[in-house]
Amino acid sequence: MKISTLKSRVLAILASGALVATVVVAAPANAAATGPTCDGKTPVQTCSGTTSDGALYTMQVPSDWNGTALLYSHGYGFIIDIPAGVPVVGGTKVDNSAYAGPDAASNAALVKAGYAIMGSGFARQGWNIDSAVKTNVELVGVFKKQFPKVSKVIAWGRSGGAFITQSLAEKYPTLVDGVAMACPVLGTVEAELDMALDFLWGLKTFFDPTIKGGNYSAGAAGVGEAITDLVKMFTVIGKLQASISTNAWPDTSKVPDSMKAIPPRSALLLVGLMAGIPTKSTSFDSTTGPEGPLKLSWPLAIAPAMAILENGAQGAALAILATHDLELQTGGAFYDNSKTDYAARVADEAVTFNAALSGNTALNGLLSYLNPMNPAAPRLVGNPAALAKLRALSTHTGKISVPTVVLAGETDVISPAGNTQWLIDRYDEQYAAEKAAAMKLLGGSYKAPSKKLIVIWKTGADSYSKFTAAGSPIALLPSDPNSNAHCNYSAAQHLALINLTAKGIAKGSVSYDGATRTIARKVMSGVIGPQRFPALQKYYMDK
Amino acid sequence: MKALNRRKLITASAVLAMLGLVATAIPAQAREVGVTSTQIKLGMTLPMTGTASLGYNKIPGAAKAYFDYLNANGGVNGRKVTLIVEDDRYVPTEAVAKTNKLILRDKVMALLAPLGTANVKAVASSVNPARRGVPVLFVNTGFSGFADIKKYKTTYTVLPSYVMEAKIMGEYIKENFAGKKIGLLYQDDDFGADALAGFKSAGTNFAIKVPYASGSQSAASAAGWITKFKAAEVDVVILFGVSSATSAMLGVAAQLKYAPQWMLGSVGGDATTIKLTGVPAGVLYNAIGFSPVPATTDMKDEYVKFFSDIYAKAVPGSPFDLNVLLGMNTAFMTAQALKAAGPRLTRKSLMAAIDSKGATFANSALVPAGYSKTSHVGLTGYWVGKYSPTGDLSPIGGTYVTYTTDSGSGPVVKSTYKRPAMPAKGLPN
Repeated sequence: MKISTLKSRVLAILASGALVATVVVAAPANAAATGPTCDGKTPVQTCSGTTSDGALYTMQVPSDWNGTALLYSHGYGFIIDIPAGVPVVGGTKVDNSAYAGPDAASNAALVKAGYAIMGSGFARQGWNIDSAVKTNVELVGVFKKQFPKVSKVIAWGRSGGAFITQSLAEKYPTLVDGVAMACPVLGTVEAELDMALDFLWGLKTFFDPTIKGGNYSAGAAGVGEAITDLVKMFTVIGKLQASISTNAWPDTSKVPDSMKAIPPRSALLLVGLMAGIPTKSTSFDSTTGPEGPLKLSWPLAIAPAMAILENGAQGAALAILATHDLELQTGGAFYDNSKTDYAARVADEAVTFNAALSGNTALNGLLSYLNPMNPAAPRLVGNPAALAKLRALSTHTGKISVPTVVLAGETDVISPAGNTQWLIDRYDEQYAAEKAAAMKLLGGSYKAPSKKLIVIWKTGADSYSKFTAAGSPIALLPSDPNSNAHCNYSAAQHLALINLTAKGIAKGSVSYDGATRTIARKVMSGVIGPQRFPALQKYYMDK
Repeated sequence: MKALNRRKLITASAVLAMLGLVATAIPAQAREVGVTSTQIKLGMTLPMTGTASLGYNKIPGAAKAYFDYLNANGGVNGRKVTLIVEDDRYVPTEAVAKTNKLILRDKVMALLAPLGTANVKAVASSVNPARRGVPVLFVNTGFSGFADIKKYKTTYTVLPSYVMEAKIMGEYIKENFAGKKIGLLYQDDDFGADALAGFKSAGTNFAIKVPYASGSQSAASAAGWITKFKAAEVDVVILFGVSSATSAMLGVAAQLKYAPQWMLGSVGGDATTIKLTGVPAGVLYNAIGFSPVPATTDMKDEYVKFFSDIYAKAVPGSPFDLNVLLGMNTAFMTAQALKAAGPRLTRKSLMAAIDSKGATFANSALVPAGYSKTSHVGLTGYWVGKYSPTGDLSPIGGTYVTYTTDSGSGPVVKSTYKRPAMPAKGLPN
């Protein structure tokens, strides 16, 4: 299972129990390049093989191929098998199989539209940008050799796969003619992990200090620690879910009794806001309340915390598993919140969500507990060498050289909208510089440079939460069209994303023209880029 | 130049001259969102339904009453003002969604008088009108933070800040209740934080301060507050909360026959709203209140008379109260801002007009406004009054004594402000 297909099941019963971490760290495949072996079938020919690093790949080429090949990069995949009993992510195995697209329906739609599709499984799962880019470069060469009539190559990907895609386009700008990204993680992995680990640290500090939260041991011991953390984290999440009606703090919490007069949901919301977790989730829109006396107080006081609960479970799972992965890669604990000013981070939201935070007095009490001087809430200091290695991993400049189309969720729980806003800001700078250079060069005969980036925000409905007649919330499916679940896009939406990119390649530019606006509204359930200005991730507030 | 070409030139010049003449008669078609040659679209979000809507839901009707009068008298530079109102139920996330609708779907030129600190803040963060260049005119909150012109570039306040109000209250206490034990009920958010800052600046000492979390106010909680104030044996209780908190407190106090000297903040001090919740008018008698605009019963005041006449015709049977007066006053100021922006109306020219002329806009307030190129601060003070046996707020001694101050450490001074006279027919000139 890739993170991009993670299902939100936090509202299901969270059974923890004793779990035996019989897991195996997957070793990267290592073999000579093979193939491609093609089946010669019509109307769709399928080819497969392995790249020189051992990554499996697959290609599908329709008989009525339009000459454009799509190079797909899948998102983050776990590097360890997760025991079946772990909630939400349990039963997930390390998956090295090749992906030519995100899912069967999308792949079929793309091939039916005349595109050839290809993609690998990568030689290594986890955070694998540098190796994945190399695999992709080789795969494009294999495809071109096998199908020399290829006229255009569009690199595309989702989630972490979008990070790979942007890295590829930045490093090899002439290799691809266009770029399409959905639910992208962009910029730096540090920003992404900062969100997840801030949430995990807050969860640990308020609700269960025995959660390790990083600094995992090497080898099998570290795997066991990570799995144990997963179980503890989901157990706490389950207790917090129960606490919504009881206001009882989890029994694993070590906060002083005086603080327990504050509803634990307020502490949970604070943790979510500190980290930048969205306050809209699959089931909770933070706007709708049940009919009756809670109609107004539910969205004001309860729903934001419920949304954090539902979203945060996924964020924290990523925090644990990706941290374990990247600590192995960097050789130590890199997370450092020793200087993070959490009060500053929530200053604006403290006003907006004041009722849900139980007022300023409660908020100040909670923030005081998180003060770096409080020995009960120790801040973490990163290992400088590990942090340096983390920062040396592939990062983006944001440079855009070819027509690029991004589809992003306004409240995506794993890849926050701030990722895409970061790219927009970088491109705005790039475009301004290009424009200035053109004006300087050509003076009065200056012609504005062509635009190369457009963004469509998937916004969904404003109001979608549902309740029983008795007023209890109803858990919605992550696949609900309104859900903000990570990368919750349909085949039609993926096809529209690719078509927009292909259109941009043909024109040499992309724009928010009438057709794009219509697609944004009717196909993507959203709006075009300039109609939203989401905040950057909290990470950037400290920079 | 050949004759033919010359003739063509002359013809072209004549056409241009004609167009120029026409242009002076009809406003130029401004290339601005929400503005046509015949219409200006404005949008408002506030609670129209739900428990928080009481009293506030009269503001759109009041504003529309004035805009209808304005439109019937030619509008502003030939354009009629259309106000689109969206119900946010006082839920910040809903305010964000509704504001997005107003800006993106309805394509309003400006947001007018959005209500509530949390909602305005949520919209500032999530919708980002500053980055879009959308004016946010005359916000219905006294949170002093919105005066931060760097952060809220396109936002203009109109109500005096809660800091100012608390400072003026503190000054009044110093002059009239020296040696008395003072208690404070306040909302435990930025509304209350502003109040605490103001009282601190005024040097007010409290025997007890009772915070309540927004949304927690009820009759049951009011009984708890009264227990605390009684235990502290306070002589004066300041109610610095929203209407529902004030009403809960006064209603339960009436039942328990608890009768200290009440002092009501302007946010929760509208008598009509309080009485609508069933609080007997007599409970308000002799309570001290504060307002930046004249008493709503003061029909000798030319603005009050003018607005109440228009409102009575537009919304027959609806009492003319503080929310109505403030709503109409905001619409009145908006009309002047639109007029001052000139016929080629744009968002930028509208904001420039407030920056340069806003401090001189005629309006009913008895205290000065602070608009300038470096300040988006609206009204800057209050007069002090007492509630009558029927619950009407009137100036103590029958004369308005106004105080003005700032949201910082500036002194509270008696104001010498002379209010501009009502423009002819109550129309912008």
